Amino acid sequence: MDWTELSIITTSEAVEAVSNILMDHGAAGVSIEDAKDFEKLKPGRYGDHGEIVDPKDLTHISQGAIVSAYYPNNQQIDQQANQIAAKVRGLTAFGLNPGPVEVNLTPVVNQDWQTAWEKYYHPVSVSRFMTIVPSWEDYQPKVPEEKILRLDPGMAFGTGTHPTTRLSLQALEIVMQGGESILDVGTGSGVLSIAAKLMGAGEINAFDVDEIAVRSAEKNIKLNPAAKDIHVAANDLLKGIHQQVDIVVANILAEIIIPLVPQAWDNLKPNGYFLTSGIIKDKFETVRDAMADQGFEIIETLKMKDWYGIIAQKPKDED
Amino acid sequence: MAKKVANIVKLQIPAGKATPAPPVGPALGQAGINIMGFTKEFNARTADQAGMIIPVVITVYEDRSFDFITKTPPAAVLLKKAAGVQKGSGEPNTNKVATVTKDQVKEIAETKMKDLNAADVEAAMRMVEGTARSMGFTVEG
Repeated sequence: MDWTELSIITTSEAVEAVSNILMDHGAAGVSIEDAKDFEKLKPGRYGDHGEIVDPKDLTHISQGAIVSAYYPNNQQIDQQANQIAAKVRGLTAFGLNPGPVEVNLTPVVNQDWQTAWEKYYHPVSVSRFMTIVPSWEDYQPKVPEEKILRLDPGMAFGTGTHPTTRLSLQALEIVMQGGESILDVGTGSGVLSIAAKLMGAGEINAFDVDEIAVRSAEKNIKLNPAAKDIHVAANDLLKGIHQQVDIVVANILAEIIIPLVPQAWDNLKPNGYFLTSGIIKDKFETVRDAMADQGFEIIETLKMKDWYGIIAQKPKDED
Repeated sequence: MAKKVANIVKLQIPAGKATPAPPVGPALGQAGINIMGFTKEFNARTADQAGMIIPVVITVYEDRSFDFITKTPPAAVLLKKAAGVQKGSGEPNTNKVATVTKDQVKEIAETKMKDLNAADVEAAMRMVEGTARSMGFTVEG
């Protein structure tokens, strides 16, 4: 989809009203640059974790504010630009100074922003024996045991840098001995399935509800010859899937793990492991309780920053 | 080692439902952030407020890791809630769709004070009142 950016040069005091006008015209959100936000910054410590800031290193406007919104080209926002400008100028009548009200329309080229972050993505060591390497970087193992997972995540989740991915990989390393059959739910870039294969997994079926993720996972499987027999398909969690596997792994959000709990139970062999991640601190107890209510035994809880992972097991003597 | 701030990005986006589509994609992609990493984290933290637009300030560090904090909902959202209406007016000069009291404006201004670039509560009230009137709300009292 192609988009047009509409930006308005205005004042700090009109930002709230201008944002509302842009949303009323169908924007899904706005981006705001306000000179006053930067005036407040002083060189030195920043935030709660000892970070440092020097305002002169940050690119920003020196006065006024710019509010930008994005519209799909089929909304023909260019035809509404004059109307929007008139509404913003009209804020004077409501006691707000709208400033210069310069309206700019710029076409947005998708490619630019989808791939801009890639130049900051470098090989990342995710465990003692595994390094995730962007597909466009040349990298050789530093020790013979080091396993290399090649990845081009594109617009799918799972680069190996996020705590939730790391917790999932840790959980896999803890429970896997080799040869396990696995269902990977919400596979994203396919990173967990590929990693599991490199750790010696048996049959793996990976699912994602998002077609972009399915295509990304397929591409990444091709980048890793050892993972070529992983099967990827579009599916809503494990709806309609009836298997008996050793491991169900899911790095998704807490709200989505809850409906997955009974489906994972049905698809696991006795003694099988349900490995979950993507659980934010506040939701941990809800997810853990849902698993316990289903009959799962909580074997271990993993934690990184505000994120939790759970290793749960389906007991052998299921009543 | 202390990380250095490379960029600060301010957005207003739907809680619990951020996608890589604009404005998130262009704003964060250009800042060098892994967009999907942000949407996962933002949606996890804001799932309970789903359906509401919320402001978020994202700090991007030199290594392109990031932190973010969510702010109080936009003035327009709080005003609609206070007035009990879904939508503002398309013709605010002629078509008045709701009424809020000066006290409600003050309450919203006080709620938002820490997130608005206003010198004092009076300035914040003027911003909130102006926003209210630009939505076709009558401010009474």
